[in-house]
Amino acid sequence: MNKKVLLALPLVLFLITFVFLFKGLFGNPKEIESGRIGQQIPAFSLPDLMDEKRIWNEQSLLGEAYLINVWGTWCPTCLIELPYLTKLREQGVKIVGLYYEQGYDPDFGDTFSLPALQQEVSQMLARTGDPYQFNILDLERKLALDLGVSGAPETFLIDKHGKIVLHHTGDINERVWRAKFAARLLELQ
Amino acid sequence: MKIFLFITCVLFSTHVLAAEEQYQFNSANEEQLFKELTLELRCPKCQNQNIADSDAVVAKDLRDKVLELVKEGNNKQQVVDYMIDRYGYFVHYKPPITPLTLLLWILPLLFVVVGFVVIFVRQKQQKNRQTSWSQQDEQKLNDLIAQYQESK
Repeated sequence: MNKKVLLALPLVLFLITFVFLFKGLFGNPKEIESGRIGQQIPAFSLPDLMDEKRIWNEQSLLGEAYLINVWGTWCPTCLIELPYLTKLREQGVKIVGLYYEQGYDPDFGDTFSLPALQQEVSQMLARTGDPYQFNILDLERKLALDLGVSGAPETFLIDKHGKIVLHHTGDINERVWRAKFAARLLELQ
Repeated sequence: MKIFLFITCVLFSTHVLAAEEQYQFNSANEEQLFKELTLELRCPKCQNQNIADSDAVVAKDLRDKVLELVKEGNNKQQVVDYMIDRYGYFVHYKPPITPLTLLLWILPLLFVVVGFVVIFVRQKQQKNRQTSWSQQDEQKLNDLIAQYQESK
């Protein structure tokens, strides 16, 4: 009996290593879970991208489950996912854009022109379809940092109480939507 | 000799990190803490680079945040916790000991211990297999030797 256990040991060790490495084959190292999952959306107070007098905060988004989509006109992957997100909006999914301005850094003497950005955004959304209820302009990327955003595109699913339920790095397409988001959103609605 | 000195100086001067010179500190302590933290915090975008090394936008944002937090008088653990709160354990190069990471520490030790146990058990089994030398065996051996000598 003892000998059998001893003989099985290498096989068991092999299987453990095999499962571990096999799982690693399908992992995506870029997919980093935000530390904010399960927490409330952090407090913020940021202007609307198209109307800077309009200020949004964490309170103005309560009451309905929605997606926060981090994007920018500089981001090629965002360009690819915009048509699909537009399709989702047509199906009744509420999507709020968090505009992630990459180029602007006052430390390097960058200047920022809101009208120019607004025009660029309008042109791009006219081409791809506009999935957004509205866009929040996070010029200094403060809310992005508080959310644990590392770049664009990234998408968060928020429930009606303002709790962060899901975080996805990379574009949203049919496959990702079905595998990750669709069922969870249905639960929340 | 002078040329040799010059070349040495030029070669070693590349180790100076020019990127950090733009930051202003109130004290040497702050500067030290900032350096330690930016070397220890990991860039979430350019993975396998720390935030001191990375040119990603998010790495610069994190550097600025570290600077701000250090200047506010936060200690090292507080800054690390602030980042982990947002970016998860991934952002720190020294992950904490959790039940899952404990496996990484214990497994190698377990391999060594199991190896020794196997060696020990096998040796003991081999010893038991060698039964003691009986009177009968002695007699048989003596007979064989006698037979051999006679035949010669």
